[in-house]
Amino acid sequence: MSEVFVGLIGIAVLVFIFLIGMPVGFAMGLVGVAGFCYLRSFDAGLSILARDVWAQFSSYSLTVIPMFVFMGSIAFASGMSRRLYDAGYTMLGRLRGGLAMATIAACAGFAAICGSTNATAAAMGRVTLPEMKRYGYSDSLATGCVAAAGSLGILIPPSTIFIVYGILTEQSIGRLFVAGVFPGIILSLLFMMVVALLVWRNPSIAPAGAPTTWRQKLMGLTGILEMLVLFALCIGGLFLGWFSPTQAGAAGAAGALIIALVRRSISWGGFIEAVKDGLRITCMVMVIVTGATIFGHFMAVARIPMELAAWVSGLELPRAAVMGIIVFIYLIGGCFMDALALITLTIPIFYPAVIALGFDPIWFGVIIVLVTEMGVITPPVGVNVYVIKGIATDVPLETIFKGIFPFLVALIANVGILLAFPQIATFLPSLTRY
Amino acid sequence: MGMLALTVGDIVGIKVLSRPIPGGIEMVAFLGAVVTSFAIAHTQVMRGHIQVEFVVMRLPGRLQAVLAALTSLLSLIFFGLLAWRSYDFGRVLQITGEVSMTQKIPFHPFVYGIAFCSVVVSLLLLTEFLRALVKVVKK
Repeated sequence: MSEVFVGLIGIAVLVFIFLIGMPVGFAMGLVGVAGFCYLRSFDAGLSILARDVWAQFSSYSLTVIPMFVFMGSIAFASGMSRRLYDAGYTMLGRLRGGLAMATIAACAGFAAICGSTNATAAAMGRVTLPEMKRYGYSDSLATGCVAAAGSLGILIPPSTIFIVYGILTEQSIGRLFVAGVFPGIILSLLFMMVVALLVWRNPSIAPAGAPTTWRQKLMGLTGILEMLVLFALCIGGLFLGWFSPTQAGAAGAAGALIIALVRRSISWGGFIEAVKDGLRITCMVMVIVTGATIFGHFMAVARIPMELAAWVSGLELPRAAVMGIIVFIYLIGGCFMDALALITLTIPIFYPAVIALGFDPIWFGVIIVLVTEMGVITPPVGVNVYVIKGIATDVPLETIFKGIFPFLVALIANVGILLAFPQIATFLPSLTRY
Repeated sequence: MGMLALTVGDIVGIKVLSRPIPGGIEMVAFLGAVVTSFAIAHTQVMRGHIQVEFVVMRLPGRLQAVLAALTSLLSLIFFGLLAWRSYDFGRVLQITGEVSMTQKIPFHPFVYGIAFCSVVVSLLLLTEFLRALVKVVKK
């Protein structure tokens, strides 16, 4: 059997044991080791297991994960999401659909201190859904907009997906982070435009809120202020080259904790919960990254990525068409698989082909994040949707998915914009010193 | 246990990072290793590891139990191998006496730590496997 054929069998077996419910990190590790054993030797396969696990677990660059995860869970536990929403509400609440727009703005703000889609969706959903219900917003608009805007969590830095992508492809995490800033802002605006369009077509889905005084508006601003300070500290520090990514995360986590303590908005129990939460998420990500590393080594000896890269660059297709196909594969794959598992599995396979076609690695990272965002809101496996369902238990899943659809169109439009104007993503990273 | 490790790890990590301590980087990295390996079991108990559930959810109960037994057995094999090989790898590092660059911290205790945690996870998976088997037989 040729090496490539063994590799393809490996992928098929892996997909099968994913589907029967084995944790994806374990599954990638096991199939990777088995394949490596088969292609090289039993002993080589087993020693790569111990070495890879040790190398990943003790890797300094991976310590960035717990830092940013911890920062997000502290921000969540200390109620920063509520204060951000209050700020957005006092600004935009009077408009028709203003609450939905405020939700999107607040999600974008929270995304600037939190690096995960489901944490952003959970944090904002708990705050905003009851409000929108109170003002008579339609269920599908309310749930759809939080689920979709929650996905901004990974596009606006910090972002777990950028971290994982950076580690798998050996790109600078700092550059990836800043690359997400402009696309994130554009996407937030696109989401707001979607709300405006929906409300314009059917005003009854989103009645206007009560007017607010200037005093309230000013008070609301303090909620934005703490977010800005944290963001400036850690992403700004990263951008200017003061911090390594791990240090930026540590500074952010410490900053979030200090703000929470000064405001007295976190209890001991809340702190313990935040730590536990951070621990679980960290471990989950680390296990998947480690599994993907082992699997990636198997793929490398099976020569799949190189063969694919050679094949794709030999195709008589325009680059954009190939990218379109890749995005389409992710869109379909993201429907059935967890987004993180999907990208850790596919990045080692697709990345060499994408680079061979001359795409910018940082730009491709942004594209990957955008398709991941689609993955977390598309049925039947869309983490964000289940998070929102967990909060709004009385809203049927179909209603949420229906509400998400217009926002999905906005996401696809954003991919198109980035294809046409890659500078949107690559401009800021070109300025970084880090 | 894992939780305690993370609390210590994170707080020490942050403190270490705010001041330039020689070898801070390697200590943080080692703490990361400790935290992650000890957290695997905790995460498993809390069902925190990502798995694809939407196919399994649609299957009849008995088949679900069979698959649960199968996947825990496969995971058990993985962690069994990991425990064994990490122990071996730790032995190698101990005999060759490899230490970190700045602080001269020996590597092998941490690798043994991974081996130990893998044993814990294996035992956990074994109980899950047996529980799933009981379910299969009962139904």
